[in-house]
Order: sequence, then C-alpha cells, then structure tokens
Amino acid sequence: MKKFAVGLYVAVTLALMVWGFYQAWYVAPLDAMQGEISRIFYYHVPIAMLCFLFFAISLVGSIGFLTYRQSLPSRAQAADALALAGAEVGVLYCTVVLLTGPLWGRRAWGIWWTWDARLTTTLVLWLIYVSYLLLRRFAAGPQMQTLAAVLGIFGALDVPIVYMSNRWWRTQHPAPVFGGGPDSGLKDPVMLAAWEWNILAWLAWGVLILILRYRLERRHQKIAAAEAEAALNAR
Amino acid sequence: MDQAATLDHQFTVAAYVVTWTLQLGYLVWLGLKWRAQKRNADRLCGKGH
Repeated sequence: MKKFAVGLYVAVTLALMVWGFYQAWYVAPLDAMQGEISRIFYYHVPIAMLCFLFFAISLVGSIGFLTYRQSLPSRAQAADALALAGAEVGVLYCTVVLLTGPLWGRRAWGIWWTWDARLTTTLVLWLIYVSYLLLRRFAAGPQMQTLAAVLGIFGALDVPIVYMSNRWWRTQHPAPVFGGGPDSGLKDPVMLAAWEWNILAWLAWGVLILILRYRLERRHQKIAAAEAEAALNAR
Repeated sequence: MDQAATLDHQFTVAAYVVTWTLQLGYLVWLGLKWRAQKRNADRLCGKGH
C-alpha cells in the first residue's frame, strides 16, 4: 500500500512537471514587451517562491532541534534531519534562481548581474545556507548540530528581507508578480494558469526530493548511532 | 527569425536546461548516496550478527 502511494505520488509529480513545461512553453502567450525570454519566468518565479518555503521548513526543523535536544533527543534528531533537508533543497532552488535570473537579465537588461537589493539579498541568503551546509559537512563534534541550528535560524532572518526588498527599496529587479499591491498580478488567465501549474509542479517535485533527503539523513543518523554502539561494545 | 529572437530562444532554452540539470543532478546524487549508505548499513549488519 505504501509502495503504491509513493509510486502514485511520483507519477503525479512527473505528470505535473510535464504539464507545467507544456503550459509554459507551448500554451502561455508571449509577453508583448519581452518576447520569448519571458518564458524563463515560468520557472524562475515559482522556484524562487518555493525556495522560501524550503528555508522556512529548515527554520522549523532548526527551532525543533533546539527545543527538543535535551528533553526528547529522538525528536530532536528528526527535527535536525528536517532542517538539513529543507536547507539543502532550499539551496538547490536558490541556485536555480541565481542562475536563471542572470540569463533573463542578460537579454532584458543587457547585463548579467547588478548589485540591487533583491539580487544582493538573494545572494546573501544563498551564501548563508551554503555556509550552513559546509558547516554540517566539515564540522565535527557534539556541538555541530546546535551550531547549524543557530545558523539556520539566523539565515532564515534573511528570507523576509529578500521578500520585501523590491517593496522597500527601488530596485532594477521587476516588481513583485504576486502580493505587490493593486497593480501586481497577472491579467492574462492563460499566463496565470501556466504560472500556477508550474508552482504546483515544482512544489510536488520539491516535496519529493525533500522527503528523500530527510529519509536519507534519518538513516544516516541511525547508522551513525549503530556504529557508535558497535564501537562501544567492541571495547 | 531575427538574431535577437534567436538569442532569446537560446537563453530561454539555457535557463530550462540549467534548471533540469541541477534538479536531476541532485536526484542522481541522492540516489548514489542512498546506495552507498545501504551498502554501509548491510556491512554493519553483517558485522553485528
């Protein structure tokens, strides 16, 4: 039954990905001003929105770890695995955003990069979470998880700054597509539908790899505990 | 198709290719890690019993 549910979820996710691509590439009309380059937005914007979600999941995991690390160690380990999985998928999504954005910018603005508030805060967010992953990869000792959790919470503070950056400051980055005031939002229902399908598709994909990464980390924790126990017994 | 439209097309394709390469690359990396971990777990079980 569980295998069937997993298989069904993977099948639905893949179908959504194909459908989202079809909508973005073949169905959605071209933007009158930008032409074909506007199709990048059907991937860039949903993935940018969802990277915030995965960093938020990492934040929840980090808070959970710090909350339970002394009272409920097993729950703290699960929270730590969630924090790591969220951060890793968030970094993956943020990397896509930082690579697809300049590809659009080069054609639309004539430059690959500019140090405006939205781009800079996004780069800082990415750097913070990359340092989080490096800390987890190379630091050792009992304090590593605690330090990582603190850094994860610190990094998440940048998420609202990134979100608000092109509302608070005048930026070269385009105005918010959603939630940016009365003029924001897509007027064309076909464009809007293509956008929504891609948000759904990338959400389903992200949740899938998040679960895979979480389970991988949980198994790693169990193997590490078993190895430690075996080493103690061998003495 | 004029040169600007061709470039637009190439940049758009590049963005989609970059997106999929990173996502599928990560999935492959997870798969490799999963396999290595399974081998490690099997070795540990073999030692324990």
